[in-house]
Amino acid sequence: MSPPERGSELEQLELELLLEAVWRHYGFDLRDHARPLLLRQLRRYLREERLDTLSALQGRVLHDADALEGLLRALAGPPRPLFADPAFFRSFRERVVPVLRTWPSVRVWHAGCGSGEETYALAILLMEEGLWGRCRLYASDSSEGLLADARTGAVPLPEEEEARHYLEAGGRRALSDYYTRDGNWAVFARPLREGIFFTQHNLATDGSFNEFQVVLCRDTLLAYNRALSHRVHKRLYESLSRFGFLCLGRKESISSTPHAAAYEEIEDSGRVFRRVA
Amino acid sequence: MSPLGLLVVGAPREALAEVQAALSMLPTRMPVPVVLVVHRGRHEVLAGPLGHRCPLPVVEPDDKQALLPGRVYLAPAGYHLLVDGGCVCLSREPAEHGQRPSIDALFESASEAHGPGVAGLLFGGHDDGWAGLAALREQGGCAAVIHAEEETDGVERVPLGGVKDWLARLVSGTRMKVLP
Repeated sequence: MSPPERGSELEQLELELLLEAVWRHYGFDLRDHARPLLLRQLRRYLREERLDTLSALQGRVLHDADALEGLLRALAGPPRPLFADPAFFRSFRERVVPVLRTWPSVRVWHAGCGSGEETYALAILLMEEGLWGRCRLYASDSSEGLLADARTGAVPLPEEEEARHYLEAGGRRALSDYYTRDGNWAVFARPLREGIFFTQHNLATDGSFNEFQVVLCRDTLLAYNRALSHRVHKRLYESLSRFGFLCLGRKESISSTPHAAAYEEIEDSGRVFRRVA
Repeated sequence: MSPLGLLVVGAPREALAEVQAALSMLPTRMPVPVVLVVHRGRHEVLAGPLGHRCPLPVVEPDDKQALLPGRVYLAPAGYHLLVDGGCVCLSREPAEHGQRPSIDALFESASEAHGPGVAGLLFGGHDDGWAGLAALREQGGCAAVIHAEEETDGVERVPLGGVKDWLARLVSGTRMKVLP
């Protein structure tokens, strides 16, 4: 069978059926993902798996839960390097940490943590700033497989660039102080690993599970369409305590979201918002 | 020619000066959004220099920002810019042809979102962009290329000085179709 033409009605139909099947059979709702992005990810995944059609993928996913996990990983994208966006971590250190210091305890939620690189980077920062003792760091993702990776506390051995990013982010020691080398992997120190609570949570379908003083959700909502991203913003708002901080990705704005008026953007922080109402 | 809905432009980093020149030829009353990918370094500031001689505002859009006529949207560093209906959809997928933003990613998504209503202008000299231009042609869109070595079916070859006329033809076609 030859693959359907890109963007054809047949391909559209196959896509709808695949998403419906994944939703009805597994409860994973991919229907409100941003379509152009979803299609690109799926087409790439088909090429990698040497499948011709989305229908073939549907058949495989329905009959094999491991195939679903593979699909979810493909949609999650490649792992990001540690401290991938040093400007964000630097401004977090300079603008958010001083406020957190004045609070007796701080709950932090990293929503959409993937395989955990950014969570560990944040944990290192909190530890360096002397906040580790009174912080509880929760990290969630919809994929159980990615969470399992994250829990191991092992990441590909950081390259020179990541060590440099760590310093650009205001790092006070050497990145290598925080892990032990195991072949081509870096395993984070025990206090870091044991202080993070990795938990399964699907932003698309699950409700709020606690109140937090800091919520990180960076570049996760890029994958969603406008309707779903608005629903998620509502959830993030409900999960954030008053005067708490919401940290988004560099090109994510809240200006058109339902609770835009409830936030103040912290100047020159690169998308850190404070809930003021 | 079907009514124009969107103009997409793609260029490698080497063509920056020519892109600047082409942007200066945009009509002040551009009836559609212009979306632009220039291959770029992570810390390179481009919106300012590109907007310098352009009669339209040049902005680096945020994710899910609406695409409005009469503006030039420049793909931000480190993200692919895809078109989702009348909206921007940014992505951190892997680089294509070693590039993020990639021209193919923009052109393909634009042609799927707007079909024959997309016009594409490619500055040659790089692998990136040709597949996108082909996709755009398949959907019935209008395609032109500057500095192409090779001949490609259905793709108009335009010298830099001819961009003004090419744009004028696109826009006048649109006016006639859109106005009652």
